[in-house]
Amino acid sequence: MLATRKLTKKYGALTAVEGLDLQVGPGELFGFLGPNGAGKTTTIKMLVGLLRPTSGSATVAGYDIQLEPEQAKARIGYVPDSASLYEKLSAREFLEFSGDLYHVDRAARDRRIQTLLQLFSLRDRADDFLSSYSRGMRQKISLAAALLHDPQILFLDEPTVGLDPKSAHQMKDLLQDFCREGKTVFFSTHILEIAERMCTRMAIIDRGRLIAAGTLEELRGMAAASVTAAGLIPASPDGQSLEQVFLRLTGSEDDEDMGAILSELEG
Amino acid sequence: MRTWVRSSASSRVKLADRVLDGLRLGLTLWLVQFQIFLNQTVRSRKPGRIAGFVVGVVLILFWWVNIGALTLVAVSARASAPPVALVTILSIAFLFYTGVLLFSSLLFSLNALLLNPDLEILLTAPRSVESVLAARMVVQVLRMLVLSLLLTFPALAIPSVTGNPAVLPGFVLLLVLYPVPPIVLISVLTLALVRFVPAGRGKEIVALLGVAVGLTINVVNFLVNPAFRGSGFRRATVDATPGIVTNSWLPWSWAGRAAAGLLGGDLPAALGWGLALLLASAGILVVGVLVSGRLYRAGWIQTVPGRHRRAAAGRRREWKTPGSINPVLAGIVLKDWRMRTRDVAQLVRFVMPVIFVLLLLGIRGSGLVSAVQAGGPGPLTALAGLVPASVLLLSLSGGLGLSAISLEGRAIWIYAASPNPIGRLLYAKCWASALPTVVATLLVAVLMEALVHPGWLWGTAAIAILAVQAVTLTALMVAIGGVWARFDWTDARRMMHPAAGILGFLAQLAIMGATALLAAGSVVLAGALHLEMATAFLAALVLAAAGAAVLAYGALVLAADRLRSLEVA
Repeated sequence: MLATRKLTKKYGALTAVEGLDLQVGPGELFGFLGPNGAGKTTTIKMLVGLLRPTSGSATVAGYDIQLEPEQAKARIGYVPDSASLYEKLSAREFLEFSGDLYHVDRAARDRRIQTLLQLFSLRDRADDFLSSYSRGMRQKISLAAALLHDPQILFLDEPTVGLDPKSAHQMKDLLQDFCREGKTVFFSTHILEIAERMCTRMAIIDRGRLIAAGTLEELRGMAAASVTAAGLIPASPDGQSLEQVFLRLTGSEDDEDMGAILSELEG
Repeated sequence: MRTWVRSSASSRVKLADRVLDGLRLGLTLWLVQFQIFLNQTVRSRKPGRIAGFVVGVVLILFWWVNIGALTLVAVSARASAPPVALVTILSIAFLFYTGVLLFSSLLFSLNALLLNPDLEILLTAPRSVESVLAARMVVQVLRMLVLSLLLTFPALAIPSVTGNPAVLPGFVLLLVLYPVPPIVLISVLTLALVRFVPAGRGKEIVALLGVAVGLTINVVNFLVNPAFRGSGFRRATVDATPGIVTNSWLPWSWAGRAAAGLLGGDLPAALGWGLALLLASAGILVVGVLVSGRLYRAGWIQTVPGRHRRAAAGRRREWKTPGSINPVLAGIVLKDWRMRTRDVAQLVRFVMPVIFVLLLLGIRGSGLVSAVQAGGPGPLTALAGLVPASVLLLSLSGGLGLSAISLEGRAIWIYAASPNPIGRLLYAKCWASALPTVVATLLVAVLMEALVHPGWLWGTAAIAILAVQAVTLTALMVAIGGVWARFDWTDARRMMHPAAGILGFLAQLAIMGATALLAAGSVVLAGALHLEMATAFLAALVLAAAGAAVLAYGALVLAADRLRSLEVA
């Protein structure tokens, strides 16, 4: 469903993403993990066609995103982090517009809009301007718009930020149902607990480079291997949390003691 | 009693401290804003912005050269010229400046209270409320000082060098003191008014205010400007200066007298009136800061909770487009129409030019029609009758067309991520901008042609060509706006790139000018060569329309190419 080959993005001297090789199959709920500034958003934007790679290629739903963008985009649903929307449209009008953009048949569009508004508990606010929506509500409307044209692959950038626990749980169920239909979800997050609960496979990116990719078990194995390679005695890989795995693989365990830094500030 | 006196004196000291702290904070804020300005221009490392800065500096220097030359001539001629009523002239200047101060202060204060998020940051800092509010006033005073000096520096420096050295520092002091009362009064008034502004409607209030002031200025101009009085354009005599200008109880008169004293070398008069202004400004500043603090603490700065604004759900109409129209095209046109009509700041781009033309026709229409009718039926009368519609066309095509692509704003990602080519967006935007432009200009054109009676052939031909011009000109504006599209704006006033504005204006002038020249030339040529006038006239108009269409097509190709390389970071 998704394949990248040496995908790279540079901004002058700054390399945001370097030589990314990823494979994601149908039915996978794929987590793309990394700290702030690692290159997650840049990667997703290249995959949905909003940024042009400096080099490399990406194939999404069987189409090269650079060479056949319209065919690829027709099969993609995308929800950005903190989506900017048309403030003076109501939620319903925005969804109707999204349906038109994705060439959804009018009757089917209207039916799906009703269903999605019901699903996200926004029917009562459907005719309110988006300018009055909270961040979480905007996230829901963006997700509804992304699902409207029945995409084959969903790209979500930090999808749970701003959602209340009920809505976050609802989204988790929704995404898992989506994958059960043989479709793919590719989402980025820096909240590891969510990735640990939801994802079938994950990749970790740091400073633009892919550090590791695989299931949670595979990542635990990699973390243990890196400890051994450092000449240390690894803890049992079983039961290691994703946070511990992440910190080990990104080399963040040896970062400066925060307590010492705070003491210096107070002093 | 002793306690009361002590506490009263203590509170006066505290208030004085707060005002002084406000002065210091205001200076700091202004320096920060200046730093931001430099970071956004000279230090931005963006060639376009650096070039814009350089162009701005060149324009200012050009202005200074001209003002300097005029000042030198005035200074040289002063010795031989009859005495000039300096007090009257300078008082009028300060009266006019008062109007500018009131309007700009109102916009600035509303912006600061409703739209600018840094007020919250300042109020959470360990500074008194009075200091923060005073600092805002000080920033506005400094901004007006800089603007005033940019406009008038040579006119002040030259008399200072050639005559009285106190002119420049004296005027600088006047330009610091004089704005204080209007700025303080407006700031306090705004604090009181903001209580009644619904939350989230700040931008609309500011936009409406701008519209109201613009219309007021235009109406007053039409009504009192001697050039527009009577039938035709005969000038009326200038009335005697009303007493309100030079009344010695009014502050612009004090400033005028102080300034006249400086220019005339009468230092005692300058110092006397300057002192009066200083005392008044200082007193109003202190009282204004005190009142502002009280208003803030009384909760007046809280705006009214906004109602959820809804689309007209109860009267919701299902827009059914014919099956032959591309749904993406129809969707974008409908979406743009909704965005333009529901946001006051966007709506003014359409409404203001229409209101302006209707005002012009309403107030001076009969005179204009009579003047054009006097030419009798024929092609030139038909062309002259198109003038109001052409004025409207220039405004609407520029206002709607140049901002069409930028209207997407930060939501451009929605279209960019969709399976649609960029050409379709441009095409849809041309339709979205051209439809209201064509409808509005044709309505005015038909009305005027019906009034001026050019003959049905000439009138129909003129209206037809105007319709074609409206489409091609709007498309050209959409293309120019697309080449310099801005998507990172948060204020509708900053949607349009200055380069797009300038180039769009020049392109409009060139096309309309060329059309008029071709049409008029065809009439002259037909007469000279004994050709059939109707054929020559129509041929000229068709040629003009074809030229504009070719230009628009080329510009659209360029815009499409530019937008295809767009990256949504």
